[in-house]
This record gives sequence, C-alpha cells and structure tokens, in this order.
Amino acid sequence: MSALVSRQVTRLLLDRWAIALVLAAIYWAGLALSPTAFGDPAYLLNTVRQIAPVGIAAIGVTMVMILGGVDLSVGAVISMTVVVSAAVMDGSAPNLPLAITQACCAGMVVGAINGVLIAFSRVSPFILTLGMGIAVIGLTQMLTGGTARGAVSPGFREVFNARLGDVLPVLALVLVGLAAVGLVIEKRTLFGRQLFLLGSNGEAARLAGLPVRPITITAYTLSGLFAALAGLALMARSGVSGTQAGQGMEFQVLAAVVVGGTTFEGRRGGITGTVIGVLVLGLAFNLVKVICLPYHTQLVVVGAIIITASALYGYLNRTFD
Amino acid sequence: MNVKATQPRHPGIRHFGIGQAGIWIALGVVVLVAGTFLPQFRDPANLANIGRQIGVLGILAIGQTFVIAAGAVDLSVGMLAGLVVVLTCALSPEYPLLPVLAAMLCLGAGVGVLNGLLVTRLRLNALILTFGMMSVLHGVIFLITDRSVGRAPEILRTLANGEVLGIPFAAIVVLTLGAAGHIALSRGRFGYHLLATGGNAESARRAGIATRRVLVIAFAISGLSAALAGLLLAGRIGVGYPLAGSGLELDAIVAVVLGGTALSGGRGSVARSIAGVVLLAMVSNLLNLMQVSGFAQTALKGMIVVAAILLN
Repeated sequence: MSALVSRQVTRLLLDRWAIALVLAAIYWAGLALSPTAFGDPAYLLNTVRQIAPVGIAAIGVTMVMILGGVDLSVGAVISMTVVVSAAVMDGSAPNLPLAITQACCAGMVVGAINGVLIAFSRVSPFILTLGMGIAVIGLTQMLTGGTARGAVSPGFREVFNARLGDVLPVLALVLVGLAAVGLVIEKRTLFGRQLFLLGSNGEAARLAGLPVRPITITAYTLSGLFAALAGLALMARSGVSGTQAGQGMEFQVLAAVVVGGTTFEGRRGGITGTVIGVLVLGLAFNLVKVICLPYHTQLVVVGAIIITASALYGYLNRTFD
Repeated sequence: MNVKATQPRHPGIRHFGIGQAGIWIALGVVVLVAGTFLPQFRDPANLANIGRQIGVLGILAIGQTFVIAAGAVDLSVGMLAGLVVVLTCALSPEYPLLPVLAAMLCLGAGVGVLNGLLVTRLRLNALILTFGMMSVLHGVIFLITDRSVGRAPEILRTLANGEVLGIPFAAIVVLTLGAAGHIALSRGRFGYHLLATGGNAESARRAGIATRRVLVIAFAISGLSAALAGLLLAGRIGVGYPLAGSGLELDAIVAVVLGGTALSGGRGSVARSIAGVVLLAMVSNLLNLMQVSGFAQTALKGMIVVAAILLN
C-alpha cells in the first residue's frame, strides 16, 4: 500500500515538476558557465523576447496535440503571415488594424482547412500538415514572386520592441498574455475539457455524443490563429518581410511542446508545461551561444530535445501508469 | 514455418483492387494524354531526362516502402542524403574513391540502424523520432559547411548524368535496385515477416517473428537507400550543396502513398512505389514543359501530398 502511494506521489511529482527541474538545471548550468549573463534579469527577459514567436505558436500546437493531433504547418503559416501583413501594412500606420486582421484570418483559414481535412478523414495529421506547409509556402511565394514586398507600419515595431521601465519587453508580456488566454481556454472552458477527452479516448468521446468534428476543426483553427499571431510577433521583432521567415520554426515549436510534457499520443500535458518548455528551449539556445558553439548546433539541440523528451515521457507514462 | 504457410502466395494479386491498380492507371493516363498533346514530351531526350530525374527519388522510395510497410515511417532520409552529398563532395578530392563510397554506405546504414534501435528500444513513435533526427542531421550538415563544398567524383557524375543506348544509367540503377527490393519484399521470408510486423506487430511477435529485428533491418535498408540516393544526388548536382536533400523525404513518402501503400503498414509494393516516383517525375516534367513557375509547382506539390494521403 505504502509502495503504491509512494509510486503515485513520485508519478505526480515527475508529471508536474520534471520539466521545472529541467528548467532549473539548465538555468543553473547557465549560471555556472556565465554568471554575468544568466544572473542579469535583462538578459533573461531578452531571452523570453527572442523566443516569444515560438512560444506563441506553441500554445496553439499544444491544444492540437492534447487532442492527439499535430500541426507542422505552423512554420509556413508564420512565413505567410509575415509576408501578408507586410504587404497589407505597406509602410503606413492606418493600414495596421487591417493588416493584423487579415494576417489572423489567413492563419485561421489554413488552420480550418487542416481541421476539416483531418476531421472528415482519417489521415495522419503529421503528414497532412507537413504537406499543407509546403502548399502554403508555394502560395506565399506565388503571392510575392519570391521577394519581400511591403514594409512594416511605423510604430508597430517600436511598440512591441519597447521595454516597460527599460526592463520588461512588451513581446514577453504578449507571450504571457496569450499563454494566459490559452490557459483559460484549456482549463476553464468546455472546449478545453473536450480536448482532453478526445485525446484520451476518441471513440468514447464520439459515443458520448461529443461534437468530435467541430472540436477538431476549432483546435486546428486556433492553432492557425496562434501561428498567425506568432508571425506578427516575429514581424515585430525582426521588422523584415521574407517568404522564409518561419522556415523550420515548426521544429522548435514541436520541441517546446514535447519537452513541456504534451505527448505525441495526446491527452497529456498542457499549456503550463509548454510555456516552461519554451523557456527551456530559449535558455538552451543561449547556453549554446554562451559556450561558443556554432549557431547550427541549435538544430542538433532541438532534435536531441525532441527525441530525448519523447523517450523520457514515454518511459514515465509506461512506468507509472 | 506456419507463418509462411498461411501467407497468401501473391498478396499483391489476391487483394488486387483500385488501390493497387490506381497508380498504373494514373501513369497510363498521364503518358497517353501528355504523349498525344505535347510533342516535346515524347521527345527521346525528354524521356531520358525523366529517366535521370527518377534516380534519386526512386532509390529513396524503395527504402521508404520497406519502412512504411513495416508500419513506421522515416523522415530523416532527405537530410541523410544531403549529409552524404556534402561529405562525398568534401572528401573525394582528398581521399581515394572506394573508401569514401564505403564510408558513406556505412554512414547511411549506421544512421538507419540507430533510428531502428531508438524506435524499438525506447519505444518511440517513428514519426517523432525521425523528425528529431531530421533536425539533428540538418544541424550536422551545417556544422560541416554552410555553403557548397568540394566536387563530386567523376564516376558519380557519369552515373547520374550519363546514358547507354539512350537509357540513362540512373534509370537502370533504380530499376535494378527496385527489382531486387520488390523481390525481397514480396517473395522472401524477410518480406513476409516485415509485412506481418507492419500489419499487426503484436500478432507477429506472438507468432514468433522477431519484430524488433525486422524493424531495425527496415530502417537500415532505408538508411542505406538514403546513402545511395545521396551518392547519385552528389553526381547529379556535382558539388556538396548543404540543402540538397531537404524535402526529399516527403517526396519519397508521397511516391509510396501514390503507389497505394497504406501509411498504417502491412501492405506495400516496391514496384508501385517506383511507378509513383515516375508519375511525380512526369507531372513535374509536364509542368516544366508548360512553363509553370517553380513557386506554383511548390504549391501544387503540397496539394499533391495532401490529396495523395486523403485518397490513401
């Protein structure tokens, strides 16, 4: 009996706090290697600012993955949003609201198409969204002719790159705000609970009369919306329009979500874990920089994180279930 | 013993249906329509060009058929082929040819075995593992170089671009390897074990099949085919271009899916996968002949991926 209880306790601790331990360990390693950088709040907050686009997209992908799906088209949607918003902004401030609206709509349309195709067939979301990503990249290139068009509205970058009280970056606040929105959706809405049920047992959810298809479509649409917001955040950070802005970002997003404890099989995890996962990724990237490894080591780190985290959570689930 | 006896002798023929015949019909229709309406298409030089184009993807599709039929998928092959391109071109000006080629084949098989071991030992989902491996290999390529390096050895250039009696070497290589792969998958004991593993791993295991070993071998075949494809690709491009292999994994999967192989595993035919590759090459060739822009082709390619798996 006590053995059982201790197992349950260990499991709970590992489930809830494994990722926090990883974050602490990576922070401690950073502090040991570079006390000046990792001890400086401004540096850490800047890390959050840098990783904000990945984090925002990861919120939407988390919802899709809780339900047992995955969205690998986010990188392409981010590129598309950057291009569309720059083209609509065209360097003038009054166009800003229209640009943001159109970018969000474009993201939601792609997400909704993903959702409809996945809800009404039984295809592998992995391959489908990979293919959708390629189609979106092609369409984006057709739209622009392959070159960057348009320009950022004045004020857009200035506002989002500002730091409140010279310390707190606005983009970091945006990430926190959107994560809060995501958390409310996940924890406080019927839709959030339905995501978990659908991810745990799709057949049971269907038999219980849950509107499986609308839920699926909503989740993918939200993923598209968050990817579009991530694109806007990237645009605010870099200020440059380009058809390859979000290229490969789906790897980072997936790494953050998986490391945060949301498994590829669905039903487990949540946005809290993802946010910590995003921070882990951000610190890991900076650690790579601090110990002077070449930039492309990041790709190796991302891949290693995806593999290790999946293996670890899979092992924990098997051991303690 | 029993397992072998209860298998249908010709699984492909017994389950012959639209899924199996579809690819041949599609291929026939494209050839007929294009041959009738586009004189440039039936020009022997153009046909030889298509033959050269199926080389790299054809070899990748052979390996991918084994992995998909075993119920897994290998997304790391594109970047693996790219790594082989970069290494071959970087090493061959300095080192003798044979050791370089041997090292590349070992590298491919090694990464494949590693994939297989990680999937079976850590019980990882093959998609997520090979997706991670893709990122790792991408990083490794760029740690070696971020620009084109070296030069492909002469023999690979000849193999990739040359022809005999108007038939490109690349097409001969693919057809030879394809025939060997087709026989291995549809006739041999290993092929039966592989299809059984892909169909229902638990039943196959209980029937005495070493399912883990079968999966590791399938991944090794996939890695080896990626290395071979990389060598051919190096000959075709001529230099070690770091992004040479990017995106090829998806093309290979699409070709396999077009060939009617279910992504859920348990079925598969190398011949039909190669027919899928030929179809893709012809469509791309037609779009080029009709002067459709590369951007539109990218969009169309994505839509073909989506359509192919929806039909599957």
